[in-house]
Amino acid sequence: MSSSAVEAEAPDLVCQLDSVQGMVDALSAVRWKRHQDAVVELSEHGVVLIVEDTGCLQAKVYLQRELFVRYEYNAEGRPRFGVSLGLFVDCLNSFSAPGRSSSIQIQYPGPDMQLLLKSVDSHDACIYAEIRTRIPDTISWDYNFEPAGGTPLTFTVKVLYSLGVIISAALKEAIDDLEWPGSSIQIIVQPDPPCVTFKGEGHGDLQIDFTYYVNTDLVIAFHCDHRVSYRYKYKFLRAITSNLPSSVIKDNRGSKLSIGRGGMLKVQHLVSVARAAAASHPHVDSAGHQQPSRIAYIEFFVKSEVDENN
Amino acid sequence: MELSLSDNALKTFSRSITCLARVGNELVFQASSSQLALHTLNSLRSAYQSVTFKPNFFDVYRISSTQVQCSVLLKAVCSVFRTPIASIDNLTVKLADPDASKIQWALTCYSGMKKSYWITCNVEPDIQHLSLDRRRFPSNFVVRPRDLNRLLANFQSSLPEITIIATEPTSLPSYAASEIGGKAVELRSYIDPTKENDSSLHTQLWTDPSEEFVQYTHTGNPVDVTFSMKELKAFLTFCEGCEVDIHLFLDKAGEPILLAPKFGLDDGSVSNFDAALVLATMLTSQLNEGNPSEPVQAATTIHNQAGTEAQERFRANVSEHPSDHTRIWSDLSGSAARSGNGVEERPVKIPQNLNASEQRNIQRVSMMQTTEDAPIRENIPAAPSFTHGKVEKDHEAGAQDRSQINVHGLSQRHPSNWVDANEEEDGDDDNELCVQSTPPYYEER
Repeated sequence: MSSSAVEAEAPDLVCQLDSVQGMVDALSAVRWKRHQDAVVELSEHGVVLIVEDTGCLQAKVYLQRELFVRYEYNAEGRPRFGVSLGLFVDCLNSFSAPGRSSSIQIQYPGPDMQLLLKSVDSHDACIYAEIRTRIPDTISWDYNFEPAGGTPLTFTVKVLYSLGVIISAALKEAIDDLEWPGSSIQIIVQPDPPCVTFKGEGHGDLQIDFTYYVNTDLVIAFHCDHRVSYRYKYKFLRAITSNLPSSVIKDNRGSKLSIGRGGMLKVQHLVSVARAAAASHPHVDSAGHQQPSRIAYIEFFVKSEVDENN
Repeated sequence: MELSLSDNALKTFSRSITCLARVGNELVFQASSSQLALHTLNSLRSAYQSVTFKPNFFDVYRISSTQVQCSVLLKAVCSVFRTPIASIDNLTVKLADPDASKIQWALTCYSGMKKSYWITCNVEPDIQHLSLDRRRFPSNFVVRPRDLNRLLANFQSSLPEITIIATEPTSLPSYAASEIGGKAVELRSYIDPTKENDSSLHTQLWTDPSEEFVQYTHTGNPVDVTFSMKELKAFLTFCEGCEVDIHLFLDKAGEPILLAPKFGLDDGSVSNFDAALVLATMLTSQLNEGNPSEPVQAATTIHNQAGTEAQERFRANVSEHPSDHTRIWSDLSGSAARSGNGVEERPVKIPQNLNASEQRNIQRVSMMQTTEDAPIRENIPAAPSFTHGKVEKDHEAGAQDRSQINVHGLSQRHPSNWVDANEEEDGDDDNELCVQSTPPYYEER
């Protein structure tokens, strides 16, 4: 724990996770390239990991402290460090083995500002890993949805313009299909008929409509005051669903789509980080939904190409 | 034009598109008040497929003018069918007007998603139409897809072309199971004689049509047709999915073959869709000695065979040593492939010590002849000899021997299928690798 007897300072964070696989699922959801540099921010609320692409696409993974079995936070302020996302996920993967307890302890910082990982409760072997970190570049933009006149909030958002909650599996299917038309996808949200439409035009055209009926399970929630329409690059939309963990599809979760100021698209996924034996968890209800503390929030922000709205 | 379909019709339509996509690149739509025809022609112009649907195949069938015609890329249509069929409630195809530049394909999924594809029509479509009268084919057979699958499984999966040799089911008295007379149809892998690096599997299969086929009609001299496997397999998959038998019509080498689904007992009258696949066949018959001044192999286009357009030929490299052509047949594995169910390997190696029944067979061979009058050239044994495991380096002497047998009688099987007793003078490794397949059969009699 402490680096030496002289400095009796506790590390900024020592936390313990009882299911590595859940964390791997959550972090994998924001992988869309082989090499991605992530910025990790620690706070008393939990851990946030942020990745970015060319200033147009940003993804955040929120791991609230309630997800951890143990969360000891001793820092002042909010320490931030940079780490290679692929390396971090691959490292976590090496701790998880099927049929075995995969509890790990994560500590930051180590003696040389590394991230330290250690397996816990494993009787026959101990796995220990250190990951080098670096001083993060400042994030070029950090988008927070602003409610009218309110102060920006980081962990909760208020929707400004419109939202729809679409079944994640269907959203993924739609974005996969949109590969055919072309590079620029138009998203239209309109109140009448209540519908979210994705449109791609290229050597052929494809339009996919998600209409809000009260009785289908495709669009779970819908709110729209007036028609909005913006264009986004296909490759960024693709990043939103390309690595969605299979648990999201199996749990039949919905993804929340919102379009905010200036055409900023926000898509939020819910990823379960509970252990595989969660079926015996007393809090799991028949629909498979679990207590909010067992869910990691993934947020994607995509800047629109052109502001077509009015 | 507006069409709408769902359920089983949608499944059949999807299978049709898959099959058409395996044949050609461009899909031609021709809709009239009596039917919708989809067809495609491959780029080599050696395969033509059409699928036709009657109006009652569809839930909705509306044609504005008398005939609507357009053409789209099959790849684009296949993108529409990426969505799993099981999740599609309905497909509607719309062409706003006959000159519209795009066809709309609208899928309504059970989940509630609605996907609308607009596919651009080709500006200058290459619309060919081909129809062959099934009655003009002298020979035909009907086979169940799973049976044909089983027969084709004996062949190398990457085999490009296959030869079917049809002979008249003999009426000679049978000497029981070993009698060749029952195996009237032969399937043979076609190997390009000009290919230098030939390490592929060669297969020959003799089958009894009464056991393997639902129906078989062939009279007269043996005929053979050599055609592409790729389209055959595509059509087989199509028929298998639609749960119909395959009807194959053939004439002779150089003439196209026609494949069609066989519905029930009467021909297609109960079904609301139909399909036809026309494949060009190689000009050179595998049964005959070819004229050496001509290319050893040439595939013609179906148009030429149907007499409508200029022919495209693939000129073979005729400088290849002709005896390579025969050598390939002797590179078969040492043991004859045996599979059950009426498919038996024909005994082709006749040992020196012949018993009575074997001698009877030799006599039959002597009485056979080919129907071809083409001069027998020493250097071009177009019909290979089948000697299991025996590598024959110089075959010219053997060819000459065979040519003498050819002179008399009508042939049911080409005599070069048989190794004449004389020919064993050539070989020095008669006993090595030679499958003495004849004795077990004959001795059991």
